Amino acid sequence: MALIEIKNLKKRYNDEAAETPALDGVSLEIKEGEFVAIMGPSGSGKSTLLHILGFLDQPSSGVYKFDDKNINSYTDEEAAKVRNQKMGFIFQAFNLLPKTTVLDNVKLPLVYSGVKESEWEAIATKAVEAVGLGHRMYHEPSQLSGGEKQRVAIARALVNNPKVIFADEPTGNLDSKSGGAVMEIIQKLNEEQGRTVILITHETYTAEHAQRIITLRDGQIEKDKQTDHRHKAGEFVK
Amino acid sequence: MNLLYTFRIAIIGLKTNKSRTVLTILGIVIGITSIILVMSLGRGAQNLILGQVQGIGSKTIAIAPGKQPKSPTDFASLFADSLKERDLESLKQKNNVPTLDKIMPIVFGSESATFENITYRPTIWGATSLFAIIYNVYPTEGENLSEDDVKSYSDVVVIGNKVKEELFNGGEAVGKKIKIKGRNFRVIGVLPQTGQVSFVNFDSAVVMPYTTAQQYIFGIKYFHRIVVQADSEANVEQTVADIKTTLRNNHNITDPDKDDFFVETQADAVKTVSTITSVLTLFLAAVAAISLLVGGVGIMNIMLVSVTERTREIGLRKALGATNGDILKQFLVESVILTTTGGLIGIALGSLLSLLISVILTKTLGQSWPFSVPLSSVLLGVGVSAIIGMIFGIYPARQASIKNPIEALRYE
Ligand SMILES: Nc1ncnc2c1ncn2[C@@H]1O[C@H](COP(=O)(O)OP(=O)(O)OP(=O)(O)O)[C@@H](O)[C@H]1O
Ligand SMILES: [Mg+2]
Repeated sequence: MALIEIKNLKKRYNDEAAETPALDGVSLEIKEGEFVAIMGPSGSGKSTLLHILGFLDQPSSGVYKFDDKNINSYTDEEAAKVRNQKMGFIFQAFNLLPKTTVLDNVKLPLVYSGVKESEWEAIATKAVEAVGLGHRMYHEPSQLSGGEKQRVAIARALVNNPKVIFADEPTGNLDSKSGGAVMEIIQKLNEEQGRTVILITHETYTAEHAQRIITLRDGQIEKDKQTDHRHKAGEFVK
Repeated sequence: MNLLYTFRIAIIGLKTNKSRTVLTILGIVIGITSIILVMSLGRGAQNLILGQVQGIGSKTIAIAPGKQPKSPTDFASLFADSLKERDLESLKQKNNVPTLDKIMPIVFGSESATFENITYRPTIWGATSLFAIIYNVYPTEGENLSEDDVKSYSDVVVIGNKVKEELFNGGEAVGKKIKIKGRNFRVIGVLPQTGQVSFVNFDSAVVMPYTTAQQYIFGIKYFHRIVVQADSEANVEQTVADIKTTLRNNHNITDPDKDDFFVETQADAVKTVSTITSVLTLFLAAVAAISLLVGGVGIMNIMLVSVTERTREIGLRKALGATNGDILKQFLVESVILTTTGGLIGIALGSLLSLLISVILTKTLGQSWPFSVPLSSVLLGVGVSAIIGMIFGIYPARQASIKNPIEALRYE
């Protein structure tokens, strides 16, 4: 059974003058435990697709089933709960709360989770240590390097133990060294913990960490194929 | 999301922009400060005036000559001489006013008094020995007037504390003679310092038998007031009715509209004073309410700015699982914290100012201005500021909560 199943998905923005919609009939299935990279030129609809998959946006038409349940049958509260419990997000721009410590940033998903407040500290600490930032626990984002910020974002994405991780160009703002460290962590999440990862990237060498690469063009799937020479975790070349 | 945590996030949110927070609070502080100030001073004035009125007891009834003034432009000068010795005698008769306990006529006016070569202008009071009981002021030096002094038109006076200071420079006064209108009066008693009692300040008074005052000082045959005490509070109404009947009989009046006198009880006076101060307080409170409204609009404005500025944060929180309700709560709590903090500061500041003013008034008026901050005003202050936070916070909070997470995340 597929974790994610979409059929003939379309997304047209209201104010879009262009006749071609951002997504123009996308169909695909992603199984639990898969590591999928989405590639394609700028404006091809990658982020749009990811946002819909991550319950952050709604399609204009088509079918989207997550966990075998149609997206239309989720109420706003249920959608928020799915985002909180089953999904983790990593953004290109990090999106950490300013003037807030690493630990408190990582706690954020716990706040909306129903986990008792007395347990937040321990869970968040573990997540921060898991991305190798135990020594930066009480730093604020402005005191961190880009790579460190993205690792904080990963810790935050992990803290509620989600099934799927959505990452929109997580290495886009990083140099090759810190980008490599980030990709190593993401690949381990997939291989060692069995989490589904859906990752957008412009770079072929980043995409080759995935088992499968989907290429979009003009809101449609151009290619969808298994990776020939998959990188091992920690092997990041540029 | 639990409330304690919501509270803490709100505090962090407010701390991140301290100067803006402080400026926003200021509007509320001013509003609540003025409410507390107004209510406290209003209560002070009321206490002070009521204290005065109650000073002579609620059994006391005053009869004044003339028509009852219905407005400040109504001059009571018509029939100003309507109360005469004959009326006094009729009222004293048990079968006319059976519930009457004490009765005392009064004449008063300002005249110069001289001792050696010092001159002072006190208020001359023509009364009887009863004034001490009715106004509760007894001479601490010497003695009071007596019934004989009244009967025999004696040239004796009891003087107020200030009069003694002025004329005798603080020296011995009892037994000395002072000159008023060319006539010598022997000082037989000195009153202690009293301040204002029921609108009368005995400190600057010279009290003498009313007979003497009528004959030699004012040259009149009528009274300015007749003060009556009923035998009990319950009988005040009956006493008033009997007084009116007796006086109308004496003056051949059948139509009460043509009365040439009017009767005032302490209860009436208390009611009038309370009404005036309540209306005044209400009016000032309305002014304060307007400033609160302005403060509230300020809060709304700042909260809207804050919501726009924090669009990304809102989007992020939603992406991480916050529901619309969570976001609504967060911003609402923030605005309520802003306003209640402002409210608490306002209460403290208002009380402090009110205390300060009461101290200054006490000094300048020469009598104690009672300081009190009514509990109702404190509760009102807290309640009003919290409600303002709710009302003016709900719109910005709602704007925040309905933001689309993606548009919020994309916001530059
Ligand atoms: N909120 C929006 N309103 C209108 N049009 C939008 C909006 N968001 C995206 N688009 C349009 O939809 C199309 C797809 O955008 P999308 O962000 O998905 O592209 P992308 O593949 O992620 O590009 P990039 O690689 O530059 O991030 C683009 O033409 C874009 O201009
Ligand atoms: Mg994109």
